[in-house]
Amino acid sequence: MKSSSNIKRSLVSRLKNMSVWSMFLFLLFLSFIIFLIQSVLPISSSSHNLHRLAGEQLALNGRGNIPACVPCHGLQGQGNAGIASPRLAGLHPDYIKKQLEDYARDPLRTRAVVEPIARDYIKTPRTYGDLTVFTPGTRYDPKMNSLAKLLSAEDRHNLAIYYSNLAFVASPKAYDFETLERGEDLALRGKPEYGLPSCNSCHGPKGQGFRAIFPPLAGQPVTYIIAQINKWQTGKRDNDHLALMRNIADQLTDGDKVNVAAYYDNLSYSVNSE
Amino acid sequence: MKRIFLQWVLVFSVYNIGVLPVAAQELGQSLDSLEVRPSLVNSRLSLPTQLTQVHVISPGEYFAPPLVADIPDDRFGDMVRMGRNIFTKTGVYAKRYAGNGLNCSSCHLQEGRKPHGIPLWAAYGRYPMYRHKTRTVVTLEERIQDCFIYSMDGIAPTLDAPEMKALVTYTKWLSKGAPVGVDLPGRGLPNVSRTQDLDPKRGKIVYETHCEFCHGKDGKGQKHTNGEGYMFPPVWGGDSYNKGSGLQRVRTLAKFIKGNMPLGASFSLTNQESLDVAIYIWLQERPRNPKMSQAMDFFFPNMAR
Repeated sequence: MKSSSNIKRSLVSRLKNMSVWSMFLFLLFLSFIIFLIQSVLPISSSSHNLHRLAGEQLALNGRGNIPACVPCHGLQGQGNAGIASPRLAGLHPDYIKKQLEDYARDPLRTRAVVEPIARDYIKTPRTYGDLTVFTPGTRYDPKMNSLAKLLSAEDRHNLAIYYSNLAFVASPKAYDFETLERGEDLALRGKPEYGLPSCNSCHGPKGQGFRAIFPPLAGQPVTYIIAQINKWQTGKRDNDHLALMRNIADQLTDGDKVNVAAYYDNLSYSVNSE
Repeated sequence: MKRIFLQWVLVFSVYNIGVLPVAAQELGQSLDSLEVRPSLVNSRLSLPTQLTQVHVISPGEYFAPPLVADIPDDRFGDMVRMGRNIFTKTGVYAKRYAGNGLNCSSCHLQEGRKPHGIPLWAAYGRYPMYRHKTRTVVTLEERIQDCFIYSMDGIAPTLDAPEMKALVTYTKWLSKGAPVGVDLPGRGLPNVSRTQDLDPKRGKIVYETHCEFCHGKDGKGQKHTNGEGYMFPPVWGGDSYNKGSGLQRVRTLAKFIKGNMPLGASFSLTNQESLDVAIYIWLQERPRNPKMSQAMDFFFPNMAR
């Protein structure tokens, strides 16, 4: 008993006597160790790579009755302008995942959830003016709807990781001067008198996309952009936040679609590449 | 017997009141913001007594400013281009005067062109004018100086500074063909009527559903992916406008929100929602009014001006 109390006392005295410099050195040592661990971790943790490899396997070869993605979306995920299939390389993984989920959702079975704005029921009576209706979005496509239903959550995650890590370099195409000028005007300034904001105000400078919600417009095939705006207008695509894109698409004329898609096709753009 | 029955009714009703909202809240909170979006913004459920107001867009009504492609290729045109650069990237082209992360075009939307978004073409023909804030007649240059002091939380450029000349030149070019001394349609901000019934709690919910996914959970905005400047401007915090600026007035902010926010869905919020979210934003931290002492700011933080 006595010896143990002695040890305790000596430990306490040692801690008390520990100078500022030794404390500082100890912290330096600790931070060095943490730095070492951090530098080693990405190599040792291969779960990210495993997901990527699984996604690559699925994208290139398919599995069972799931066909491969490559025939339509291209070997490098660069898309195919001929059949209006989008580029997938370098998109945000969460965006890819969300789109696959929306493809798989049955448009007839969308559930509407009523969210009360006035939550304090006792103080404020609930009236119809205080309700906002939430519905999950849908995205109609004759090919992708049936394909996306075959994918599991794991598959969607793997594909998202694989395609978001692919490199892509756009090859800008030439258009006539007037088309580009009008496209630029719409992309940078929108149509203020119609209440239409510019494309770049949400889709990022030069249409490079911003985070998971706003996908890139640069580097997408012209045919794909036009087809998607047509889908927003006809209601075949309805998976945006706050119905923003639906409102915006309603203001676009056929000429606007062509001009702005040509403007983005004319820009140089690269992702995941040096 | 009757008393016991009444007691049971009371207990049962209290039980119901306690349980229902919890269930409703859980239903609401279980939704993923990315997976699910509040749609039907315009089509609210409404009783016949409370009809939904629909804003009619009539593009022909508004003044049409000239195209950027039509800026002349001479010394005047160079000044216009410089003014446009300062206007859209104030932190880059007028760095010595800008004090926060905002640009001129953060409030004067779409490069100062948007009707109901404080357009420049409607302001140019109205200055010099009497201003109630300063109780003097101010010129356009003096008004721009106030923008830099309050909304940009920075330093006012002198009247002969090249930046000031460029901004005035850009304004003049943008209002080419606009009448002088006339209140043009789409001038300033749309009207929002006064109300005494403001609730920051409701405003917080509006902020979370309508504003948060761009301006961020903490209202500090979102920076560009390369880290330079803001993609979505901060609505409060150190990089936002200060307490002396016009948007710090609740009703002015409500007008701005109603006429312009969210982008692409102008006039989608009701007057009540705009006012609620405006007072919620008014309550947040931001740089102090440079014309007010630090002691006043410390003891009365929400005394606006």
